[in-house]
Amino acid sequence: MKTEVQEQIKKEFDERATDSAFECSFYTRDLAPVPDFLVDPLFKTRPDMVVRPQNTAEVAQILKIADENRIPVTPRAGGSTVYFNSIPTRGGILMDLNLIKGIKALNKDEMTVTVRAATTWSELEEYLNRQGLAAKSYPSSAPVATIGGWFSMMGYGVGSLKYGNLLSQLRSIKVVFPAGEIKIITSETSPSLDWFACAEGTLGIITELELEVRSFTPMCHYLLQVHETKSIASIITTLKDAAVKPYNLHFSDKYYNQAMRKLGFTAGQIEDANIIAVDYEGEESELKEAAEIVAAVVAGNKSVKMLNKNIALKEWEERFKALKLKRGGPSQLGAEICLPIEKLGLYLKEIDKVSSIYRLGLTSYGHVVDRGHLTVMTMFYADETKKVSYVIGLSLVKKIQDAGYKYGGYPYGIGLWNTPYLKRIFTPANLAQIRTRKKTVDQKNIINPGKVYKWPFLFHPLTFSLGCNVMAATRRICGKGEKR
Amino acid sequence: MTATKDLFTTLEQETLICGRCGYCRSVCPVYEVIGWESSTPRGKISLAREIFAHGKRNKLGEDFVKRLDQCTLCGACANVCSTCIDTRSLWLELRKRVADEGLAPEAYVNLKNNLITNKNISTFSNSDRLEWAEDLDEEPEGLELEEEADVCYFVGCVSSFYPQAAQVPLAICEILMQAGINFTTMGGEEWCCGYPLVSAGFVKDAEPFIKHNVAKIKELNIHTLIASCATCYHFWKHACAEELKGYNLEILHTTEYLARLIKTGKIQFDELDEVVTYHDPCDLGRNGGIFAAPREVITSIPGVELVEMQHNRSNSLCCGGGGNLQSVDPALAGHISALRVDEIKETGATIVVSACQQCEQMLSAGIREAGLKVRVMDISQLLQEVLL
Repeated sequence: MKTEVQEQIKKEFDERATDSAFECSFYTRDLAPVPDFLVDPLFKTRPDMVVRPQNTAEVAQILKIADENRIPVTPRAGGSTVYFNSIPTRGGILMDLNLIKGIKALNKDEMTVTVRAATTWSELEEYLNRQGLAAKSYPSSAPVATIGGWFSMMGYGVGSLKYGNLLSQLRSIKVVFPAGEIKIITSETSPSLDWFACAEGTLGIITELELEVRSFTPMCHYLLQVHETKSIASIITTLKDAAVKPYNLHFSDKYYNQAMRKLGFTAGQIEDANIIAVDYEGEESELKEAAEIVAAVVAGNKSVKMLNKNIALKEWEERFKALKLKRGGPSQLGAEICLPIEKLGLYLKEIDKVSSIYRLGLTSYGHVVDRGHLTVMTMFYADETKKVSYVIGLSLVKKIQDAGYKYGGYPYGIGLWNTPYLKRIFTPANLAQIRTRKKTVDQKNIINPGKVYKWPFLFHPLTFSLGCNVMAATRRICGKGEKR
Repeated sequence: MTATKDLFTTLEQETLICGRCGYCRSVCPVYEVIGWESSTPRGKISLAREIFAHGKRNKLGEDFVKRLDQCTLCGACANVCSTCIDTRSLWLELRKRVADEGLAPEAYVNLKNNLITNKNISTFSNSDRLEWAEDLDEEPEGLELEEEADVCYFVGCVSSFYPQAAQVPLAICEILMQAGINFTTMGGEEWCCGYPLVSAGFVKDAEPFIKHNVAKIKELNIHTLIASCATCYHFWKHACAEELKGYNLEILHTTEYLARLIKTGKIQFDELDEVVTYHDPCDLGRNGGIFAAPREVITSIPGVELVEMQHNRSNSLCCGGGGNLQSVDPALAGHISALRVDEIKETGATIVVSACQQCEQMLSAGIREAGLKVRVMDISQLLQEVLL
């Protein structure tokens, strides 16, 4: 990046722009602690400068300068993903969007709210609850995930089963395009809303979103203990297809629960079994009917036991804290896979196999995100201070991906690290379509380059697969592992 | 559930456990003001991980030390941590490592030297600790070093030496006298509790302070100690526990003791027609777990309407005055205080009450700066005004 451009931006943005090496170094990673020696030879993750715009006009001002000078721009807000989705790959400008936050307008008649993109889901929910309203859905990282960020990742999470993904709840978004042009995008415009739904900030920078909200309603929570792993999918299916749709429906396998108990995080009463949590919201009559549905599931299945209501409530209250399992690590590696619900049993069986072959101690949990799919997170412990075994561990993530792929699953989220799986995520036609979109909107490829559309040279699926398999074989032959 | 504090292992391990989720960022008042990722708890932990867990010692530079000191130790980050890291212990350990490396800022070194010389955070002689008592209408018997008194009031440095805060011990004495309590203070034998040294990283230097104060309490055969400073209270309760092992000492914050006096009918109040809001001091509330007692005390006054701020109890915002921040970055402390003042304004209260002299000093300055017509009072001052 040219010094004179840096100086120009620093002059225009004063204290809200920096090229200090110290400050810029904090934007080189997201949640994934990938070692420097793997990243640095391939990518320039440290931005040349970081700028913090306050509004849409300032975003446009920065993009115009970047466009004129062909400088890569990486947007970042919560920075809470794991695939380097908001990490630079070619230096340039890191646009820290966190000042673009707050509620812009609430329309109670239309039941919509307009928010600035870097508002977190918890902030929005807190605001809406004070008005007697609530978000229709939100991510399981609501305390830090932003409205704009989650939309850019498609937006599947808590509440999606009942209310659909975030795209289906959106009325419009305000986007700044690479040359600085500002547009309001709806499902009727061209490009339309769906272009941006899982573009991961590669087509433009979203600064505002108008989304539907719901009335704040009472909730009830149930926690089911399921001894037979093969029953999880059928119970989930019964619950999701019942007359009253759950607001949230998730499971954790017995290994996950064992690990939680070992760490002292289990509230008690949970035996050595799988767990299904089902949460409902709605009018009293709806909740009453839901109670009957859950009771019928328990009565009709000997493998199922209903746990105490306090434990169910605790499980709900801890819904943003799945990461606490990491205390058993200190590091944790894994993959999040979007999987057909009916294949969950087979997937977990396959995961058992992988766990045993590679001595990984795999644990799984997942959320039902729509009528047909759940996102499953399967993880294992690692130690990033032990470099060789950690890198081998990274390669074993592919074994989890492969288990998912075998049963119709694909990675949830792409960023940089999941680009080798692009052909699993998209059909050839879809891939061609999104690549055309990128070319149409961002001809110079300056917005969040290196993500989503194409794997880097060394990440070609064939070489990537070969490399991972060699390392996995090394682990299989020589590695020590962890028993479940 | 296991308490977060019990889970703390080592600095190295905890930095590795951090998932960088950023929940801490959303609640950190320092980040709210500074805005750079380097000022977020997760940012600081990430760099600490590089330095201490991965051995990249060359990264321990001035910039990082500055960021570590830009923290009020309010504990909001620990409260939301998704991996249950007791970040407050982590910050203290980091400051200790920095001090051990001889990299502590000059302000901290001066603070340490002054404490070692004067035994208090002011520049006054420690023998002047009871100067505030000269303003009492009538000095109670046994105010200084009375053996076997029922209660010993640990006044704290701020209340002892800073005129504005001296109203607090005056109010407490009047209330205790009215309630007929046989109480005393440690007078010139009260030393700083030691927390300013620990929070500046000079943990070893705090030990003589702890030993001295505990020895005096034992010598006086005192079995109930009350503190009006939230931080002194927290420090006595936690950091002195080891030294107090085997000795029966009940440690209470004055709000807890006042609530007890009210319940037993030892003090009663006149009516007060005011809207009051309560600011939870971090060391009393979020870090000390005392939320109910101060609220019980306030609502026991007939006519008072208690309104909560948007962030209250364990989610309360810091006043900006903790963690020695004022000594290294007073402007930042002031900006943080302004965030809390905005919430006070929102409530429409005419009085903001707190239970920590440092909070009261920060909020008074912030309210003055904002030009609000809101009185800032310690809970004891509020009671003193309506005492029958």
